Amino acid sequence: MIDIAVLGAGPAGMAAATQAAQRGASVVLFDESPAPGGQVYRAAPAGYAMPRDADRAEGDALRAALAASNAVVRTGHRVWGVGGGPLVPLGEAAAPFRLDALAPDGSNTITEARALVLATGTHERIIPFPGWTLPGVLGLAAATILLKANGVLPGRRVVVAGAGPLLYAVAAKLAKAGATVAAVVDLAATSEWIAALPALMARPDLLARGAAWRASLTLKGVPVLAAHRIVAAEGVGVLQRVRVAPLAGGDYRVFDCDALTIGHGLVPATEATRAFRAAHRYVAESGGWVPVLDEDRRTSIPLLYACGDGSGVRGAAAAPASGRVAALAALRDLGLIDAASHATSRASPAADFARASRAGGAMARMMALRPALVAAIPPETIICRCEGVTRAQIEAAVEDGATAMNQVKQFTRCGMGPCQGRLCGEAAAELVAARVGGREKAGFATGRVPLRPVAMDALLGDFDYADIPVPRPAPI
Amino acid sequence: MDAIAGRDMLTSVADDLRIAGMTRPAPVAFTFDGVELRAPEGESLAAALIASGIRRLGEGLDPARPRAALCMMGVCQQCLVRVDGRLAQSCLVPVRAGMLVAPA
Amino acid sequence: MSAPFDVAVIGAGVMGCSTALHLARAGMKTVLLDRGAICREASGVNAGTLTMQMTRAALVPYALRAHEMWMRMAEWCDGGHVQAVDCPGLSVAFTEHEIAMLEERAHFRRQAGAPIEIVSTARAREIEPGLSDKALLAGHCPIDGFTSAYLTGRAFRPALLNAGVELREDTAVRGIQPGFSIDTEAGELRATRVVLAGGVWLQDMAAWLGITLPIKVLINQLVVTERLPPVMRTVLGVASGLLSLKQYANGTVLIGGGWQGIGDRERGGLAVKPDSFLGNVRLAAHTIPALRDARVVRSWLGLEAETADALPAIGPIPGVPDAWIIGSVHSGYTSGPYMGKLLAQAICGQAPELPLFPIDRLLAKDQAA
Repeated sequence: MIDIAVLGAGPAGMAAATQAAQRGASVVLFDESPAPGGQVYRAAPAGYAMPRDADRAEGDALRAALAASNAVVRTGHRVWGVGGGPLVPLGEAAAPFRLDALAPDGSNTITEARALVLATGTHERIIPFPGWTLPGVLGLAAATILLKANGVLPGRRVVVAGAGPLLYAVAAKLAKAGATVAAVVDLAATSEWIAALPALMARPDLLARGAAWRASLTLKGVPVLAAHRIVAAEGVGVLQRVRVAPLAGGDYRVFDCDALTIGHGLVPATEATRAFRAAHRYVAESGGWVPVLDEDRRTSIPLLYACGDGSGVRGAAAAPASGRVAALAALRDLGLIDAASHATSRASPAADFARASRAGGAMARMMALRPALVAAIPPETIICRCEGVTRAQIEAAVEDGATAMNQVKQFTRCGMGPCQGRLCGEAAAELVAARVGGREKAGFATGRVPLRPVAMDALLGDFDYADIPVPRPAPI
Repeated sequence: MDAIAGRDMLTSVADDLRIAGMTRPAPVAFTFDGVELRAPEGESLAAALIASGIRRLGEGLDPARPRAALCMMGVCQQCLVRVDGRLAQSCLVPVRAGMLVAPA
Repeated sequence: MSAPFDVAVIGAGVMGCSTALHLARAGMKTVLLDRGAICREASGVNAGTLTMQMTRAALVPYALRAHEMWMRMAEWCDGGHVQAVDCPGLSVAFTEHEIAMLEERAHFRRQAGAPIEIVSTARAREIEPGLSDKALLAGHCPIDGFTSAYLTGRAFRPALLNAGVELREDTAVRGIQPGFSIDTEAGELRATRVVLAGGVWLQDMAAWLGITLPIKVLINQLVVTERLPPVMRTVLGVASGLLSLKQYANGTVLIGGGWQGIGDRERGGLAVKPDSFLGNVRLAAHTIPALRDARVVRSWLGLEAETADALPAIGPIPGVPDAWIIGSVHSGYTSGPYMGKLLAQAICGQAPELPLFPIDRLLAKDQAA
């Protein structure tokens, strides 16, 4: 049994694991990617020399500190099972946390830990529109991974659409790398960016970088359409063009393209906290449902902590500090540091987090779900692509009496497929919420293992029939 | 093949979609649906397929066909393929020499 | 206060829905209450298996009639249905011990009316080409099948409303006073009769009426794969009954069999046990080897009620006139709609087609009638 397991090796998880290990705890850090870094600070594959940028430097610094610590890093591990903690029979004391993970060689590993720090990050929100299932349409975060971790363009002629700072980062990067940016389609009005400026003043570096991105696009003559949305993606077999219209309505414009990168914000990945039945609350400007946390990032479950964007979107710059605060709380709760040491140690990361949250929070607000975008989805558009469930079918289920997400899922199969509701969940919940009176009422699907689809072959291993612990049969 | 039709549309413009001027490992050969492709060792398979102009990854069994990379971070499950016979998310698999990739 | 209901059915699972529907159609003014949503507990999350080979022998006559009801649900449920599939079922033995169990169990079920024949592996693999060649012997029952249980609430709802049932979801009952006055979160309501149909919560419900009825809670685990090409075409089980396997039209394969997870009636189905999860999928892949190629996508838990003798609690509540109970039917979903129909017959003063399962046997002597 180890002291602390950390799930997710992005900036929050790397910092949490490093902090905990530096203070003498036995720590294991898990991530399904081949190297630590997470999405924003994703490492380039071995043998690549990528251009240096601010993100790369931040990520390398976190990676270096992690490597210098005694934390055990298990990358390439797909954690599919979470258990223990409060998930014990009634009346029994809480158990150690248990993580089941598939190792790169396909074997199943089991790790027991006294405390568990969740740093599971986010996934991208894409509010569906006709044609969003066409090959050539991909996420905005996906585009950054393609560009920064692989040095690959999503297409030659690209429309960049959605919300938040990634929009301009991706567009500028694409243009610099030689792609034609056919258009930048920003959900936000110019006035929203201006309103965000005071909060961004705390990070002049980001502000300058954002200004440079925009300037480079202007220089190249890229059309930047504020308060616009993608109405449809079209093409025969693959994407060939998009239709773009003002959010407020009005005539659409057509842009030929071979790729559309689109993202409508980030959604905290709360599968694990949901599986542990931690308390959650809905905070639109934090990305959606988030675990309820105290100021030291304790969830409602003893010895379970959450940090980074997975506990509420505040951006990569704020994530390491939140990871350190969570790690210090875990160290304190495990008795590995005393109260005085905890109080002294937490002050600096707590202040860092508050500072970084200001700019991060402003960006998160910009990326918050926009109900108008959901309202504009045509009835026959597929919401759940795994199961082929349309908006009309979801609304019919609500008409038939399904008033919460768990039951909408049963009535329609929306969210039952391999993405486990991550892709459709936001739009579907918003459609339900509009009819039942809010996201809190619509709720969320119960968290269950496996946290990700898991290959039976790897899970099964070699076994003898005689070794299967078949329970006693029921009476005849 | 549809997948190859997708390739044709992009590769009529240029050889591949890799950004020039970067140091990469030497390309290795692998096959997708019987077609030999080359990509730097360690590049994500999904990226390698996109770079080669292949965006339709297969017809799949889910209603919203075809399969195509969407999130690139292991979440969406849309880029599922078979690698050496086993199901795998192409965005999470690094390219290796000789790997046999097929639509799933 | 408005006029009392003729009957209040508490618990909107398959038993409560069927009872309420049949009572309303017999002319009773019926209210159907549930603390949550219709068929959101066991009735909506079970494996939907309509097999005779996991049904207790004593329940086979009921399950056979219920099988017919499920298959024809649209006809008696105003078009509502659960995508029931009629297909053969196989129960497989892999060891000598299981062969003995298979033959014994098939014998008792056959006596009860289930047309089960013991067949060779070769014959079993003609019926189910996906079956492992490791099987030694199989019980074959041509009457088997399955439903999409998650559609059950949606299937019942329109018929209930058409029949005039007042459906009150998200309305928890807190207690019942003689008469009956039913105390709910949304106020008091009155009914001439009550039917307790609360699944694993029957123990608490019986206590409202001063009855001590111990109900054991089973936390049944289910696992489902993503869509696969066709790998099987029957309902498959093993002789011990601890596997149920079927492939839906959409390609997903549902793996059940009653492996136990963690949970209780207070907290619901909390978590699967990793060892049960692994054991269940290994048993499944041992039976249908093609499953080795699948990916598991989801798992969940459903709560099943069981009485001391694992036979149903269906009938009048002793000492409380006009109070009835229905539940704790082993493989209760399979027989559910028929059980509700039977109880409705009894409540309406008719002789039920088949005997009920009065609960006197389960009560302490001073409580039994």
